[in-house]
Amino acid sequence: MQPRRRVPAARWLAVTALTLAAAGCAPQSVTEQGRAIHNLYNLFLYIAAVVFLIVSGLVLWSVVRYRRRDDELPTQTHGNTRLELTWTAIPFVIVLFLFVATLQAQNKVLDPVASPALKVTATAFQWSWRFTYEGTGAEVIGTPERVPELVVPVGQTVRVKLESADVVHSFYVPQTLFKRQAIPGITSEFDLTFEKVGLYHGQCTQFCGLQHPDMVFRVRVVTQGEYQTWLAAARRGSAGQPGT
Amino acid sequence: MTDEAAMLLRVSVFGFAAGVVYWFLSYEPLGTVALLLLGAGPGFAGLVLLQEQRQRGGTGETRAVSLRRLAGIPPQDPPGPRDLEAEDLGVLPLPTIWPLAASLGVAMLLTGLIYGLWLVILGLGLLGYAGWGWLAAVNRENRYGRIQADTTPPSPQSGPASDPRPHPDPAPPPETPAHP
Amino acid sequence: MATTELPLPALPEAHHEEPGGIVDYLTTVDHKKIGVLYMVTAFAIFLAGGVLALLVRVELARPGLQVMGENTFNQVFTMHGTLMIFLFAAQVSTGFANYMVPLQIGAADVAFPRANAMSYWLYLFGSLIVFSSFFVAGGPAAVAWTAYPPLSTEYFQGTGMDLWIIGLAVVGIAGILGAVNLVTTIFRMRMPGMTMFRMPLFTWGVLVNQLLILFAFPPLTVAFALLFLERNFGAKFFSAAAGGDQLVYQHVFWFFGHPEVYIIILPIFGVISEVIPVFSRKPLFGYRAMVFAFFAIAALSFGVWAHHMFTTGAIYLPYFSIMSLLIAVPTGIKVFNWIGTMWRGSITFSTAMLMALGFILVFVNGGITGVMIASPPIDFAVNDTYFIVSHFHYIMVGGLLFGMFAGIFFWFPKFTGRLLSERLGRWQFWTFLVGFNLTFFPQYLVGLDGMPRRIADYSIERWEPANLASTIGAFLTGVSVLFFIWNFLVSIRRGAPAGDDPWEGNSLEWATSSPPPHHNFHQLPEIRSERPTFDHRHRGDPAFAAAHSDPERG
Repeated sequence: MQPRRRVPAARWLAVTALTLAAAGCAPQSVTEQGRAIHNLYNLFLYIAAVVFLIVSGLVLWSVVRYRRRDDELPTQTHGNTRLELTWTAIPFVIVLFLFVATLQAQNKVLDPVASPALKVTATAFQWSWRFTYEGTGAEVIGTPERVPELVVPVGQTVRVKLESADVVHSFYVPQTLFKRQAIPGITSEFDLTFEKVGLYHGQCTQFCGLQHPDMVFRVRVVTQGEYQTWLAAARRGSAGQPGT
Repeated sequence: MTDEAAMLLRVSVFGFAAGVVYWFLSYEPLGTVALLLLGAGPGFAGLVLLQEQRQRGGTGETRAVSLRRLAGIPPQDPPGPRDLEAEDLGVLPLPTIWPLAASLGVAMLLTGLIYGLWLVILGLGLLGYAGWGWLAAVNRENRYGRIQADTTPPSPQSGPASDPRPHPDPAPPPETPAHP
Repeated sequence: MATTELPLPALPEAHHEEPGGIVDYLTTVDHKKIGVLYMVTAFAIFLAGGVLALLVRVELARPGLQVMGENTFNQVFTMHGTLMIFLFAAQVSTGFANYMVPLQIGAADVAFPRANAMSYWLYLFGSLIVFSSFFVAGGPAAVAWTAYPPLSTEYFQGTGMDLWIIGLAVVGIAGILGAVNLVTTIFRMRMPGMTMFRMPLFTWGVLVNQLLILFAFPPLTVAFALLFLERNFGAKFFSAAAGGDQLVYQHVFWFFGHPEVYIIILPIFGVISEVIPVFSRKPLFGYRAMVFAFFAIAALSFGVWAHHMFTTGAIYLPYFSIMSLLIAVPTGIKVFNWIGTMWRGSITFSTAMLMALGFILVFVNGGITGVMIASPPIDFAVNDTYFIVSHFHYIMVGGLLFGMFAGIFFWFPKFTGRLLSERLGRWQFWTFLVGFNLTFFPQYLVGLDGMPRRIADYSIERWEPANLASTIGAFLTGVSVLFFIWNFLVSIRRGAPAGDDPWEGNSLEWATSSPPPHHNFHQLPEIRSERPTFDHRHRGDPAFAAAHSDPERG
C-alpha cells in the first residue's frame, strides 16, 4: 500500500518543483553587470528548489507514512544531538558558500570602471526624469505624459550619477536587474555597460507620491554612430525631447 | 547564575560584539549606537538579576510567593490540591476602571499634540485623576487584602472612591460572610 | 496584615466573575478576558485590512484605473499595510499570549494585571486614532506603511498623517508596557517546579517576542517623534537642504522594522511547536535546540536591518548580507525539528494540524525567497517589486495566518468549552491553501519581470494575467475567512462540548477546565518535564515512570 502512494507523490513533487523553478528564472540581463546578477540568482534558485524539495518531501512523507493508525503511543524520542549538529552545520556551510558567491557577484556589479565612456546625471523629480550628459550640454527632460529617453551607446560604460530633486525615488531598469535609490542630498553613482541594442523600459520604483506609477523612462541603447548623431543633435538643443 | 540572567547576558554580549564589529566595518554611527544600546539594555537587566540572586543567596523568591507572604497566606510546598481559589484571589486585583481611564488620558494627551494645548491639558488631567485612583486602589488592596477590601464598608481613604460596584446601601455590607 | 493564620472567609458572590457584560469587560483585569479583547479587536482590524487588500487587488486586476483614483489607491495600500502590520499582526499573538502564558506557567494572572488592561485600552484607543484619519480632511495617510520622509513630512499636509503617527505611537506604548508585563510574568511567576527549560515552547516564543518588542519599539517611537517634530514643529532632521539626512530615518525605522517581522512570527513558531507535538503524539524534537534557535533568530534579527536599504548604495553591504543569510540557519533548525517531531509519530489531521502543515510549506517558501533577497545583487534586481511583496506575504499571510488559525483551532475549546467544526475547518484550510498560493505565487513571477510595487496602475499588458490570477486568489482567500467566521458563529453556540483536554495536550492549560476558572486552576499537577499534563495523564503507567521526559537530559 505505502510504496504505491509514495512514488506518485514524490514524482509529483519533483515535477512541481522543477516547473516552479523554471517559471522563477530571472530574465536575461542586457548589461554586463546584470549578467553577474542573473547567474547568482540562478545559483540561489537551484539551491532553493532542492531545499524546498527536500523539506516538502519530508513533510509529505511524514504525513503519509506516520498517520495515526491505532491508540499506541509512538516512541517518545526527545531529540538527537548529532542530527541537530548536522542540520545546523550543513545549512551553515551552504550559507557561507552563498555569501562568497554573493561577494563575487557584488564586486562585478558595483566595481566602478576606471574611465567610463560617458557620465550622465540622472535627476529624479516628481514625476519624471532629467538626464544631463556631462560635458556636452545635452539634456533630456521628461514629464509623466512625455516619457524621457536615456540614449546610450552599446558596449560602453555609462556612469550614472543619480540625484533627487525632492523625495526619495528609485532608478530601475528591469532588464539591467539593477536599481538604485535617489535620495535627496545624496549623489549616488553606478555603472551600466549595455551589451545589446534595444529599447528598455525603466520606472521609478520607490513610492514617491501621487503619480508614482507614471514616472516612467526608457533607455535606448544604440550603436556608436547613432549615438554620436543623436548627441550632436541634442547638443544643438533640437533633441531636448525624447525620440527625436 | 539563573537561566534568565544567563539569557539576557548572552543577548547583551551579542549586542556589544555586533556593535563593535559593525563600527569597524562601516563607520556608520547610528546603527552602531543602536547595537550598543541593544547590548546595554539586556546587560543591565541581567546584571540586576545577578545582583538580586547574590543578595538572596539563591534563585530568589518569586513575586507570587512574595505576594502570598504579604497577604499573610501561609506558604505550601510542594503544590497540591488546596484552596487555590482563595489564596490566588487574595493576590489578584479587583476589576477597575482606572486602566481604561488612564489609557484614554494618554490618548487624549498625545492627540492634543495635533489639536492644541487644551486637549493636552484635558488628557493630562484625566491621566492624573486615573493615576490617583489607580494608586489608591493598589494601596487599599495591598493594605487590606482583596478579600477584605470587598467586604469592608468604605473606610476613610486617600484619593477618590473608586469602587466600580458601589454598595447600594452605604451601611455595612448586606451579608456577613460565613467563616469556615 | 496580621501574621497569624488567617481564616479564609467564604468568598462573596462578586468573586465569581460572570462572563460577558460591558462593565465587566471595561473594568476587567483578568488576563483571559484581556486576551479575548485583544483577539477580537485584532481580528476586526484584520477584516478591515483584508477589505483594503481586496480593493487593491480589484484595482490591479486589469491595467487602467477602474475603481479608484491614484490618491485613493495610495491611501488604500498605505492603510492596508498599516492596519495589518502595526495593528493586527503583533496583537493577535499578544492576545494568545495574554490568555495562554499564565495558564502555561501555572500562574493565576500576569505580573501586573491592571497595567495589562491598560495595554489593551492603549491599543484600542491608538487604533481608533489611526482609524479616525479616514474621516478628516484629506483622508488617511498615503505614504506607504514605511512613511519615508521627505514624502511624509513635506508633501502631506493633512491631519490624517499626524493622526497616523500619534495613533501608532500610542499603540507602541501599549506594546512596550505589555512587554514589561509579560517578560516579568515569565521570569517571576512560574509555578514551583517549572524551571525555564520546562516551559512550553509557546511561552518561550512569547518571551523572545516580548524582549524583541522591548528593544525594537523605542526606535520606532523615536522615528515617529522625529517625523512628528519635522511635520509640526519645524525640525529639519531629514531635509537635505537644511543639512539633514534622510538616511537617518531609514536606519532608525528599519532598526525597528526588521525585528518587527520577527515579533510577528516568533509566537507563531511557538504555536506550531505546541500543535505539532500534540497531534503527532510525541514530544517536541530538540526542545533545547528550539530554544536556542529562538534566541539566535531574535539576536540576529537586530543585526540585519539595513538589508531593507541595500539599494540606497549607502550602507556596508557584506555585514548585512551575511547576517541576513545566517538567520536561515536557526530557522532551518526549527523546521527540521518540527519534521523530526512528526517523524515516527502518530499523526491526527485535525484542522489545527492541517494549518500547522500548511504553515510549514508556505513559510519555507517565504523563507527561501528571503535567503535570495539577503544577497544584495539579487536584491538590486527585485527590491521594491512584487517579488518582495510576494516574499513577505508568504511569511506574513501564509505563515502568520496558517499559524494563527492553527492556534485558534487548537485553543478555541479552551477559551469557550466548545469545539470548532472540523468539517468547516477543512473547507477553510483547502480554500485558503489554494487561494493563498494563487494570490501570491504569480506575484513572484511578475516581480521578476520588473513590476514595481505600490503602483496604482501599470501599462505593461503582459503583467495582466498574473495580476488577474492574483485577484481571483485574493477573493478565494476571502472566502476561506468567511468559512472561518461561519464556523466561529456556529460553534460558539452549538459546538460540541470540549471538556478539559480534547486533544490530549501536553502543557498546563489542558490541566484545567474549559474555560478556566477566574483564578485559572483549582489544583496544579506536579511539574517534572515540559509536558506536565501528559505526565499527569500517564502517571500510573509504569512504561512512563522512568522516562521523566526531562529535556535537560537531551
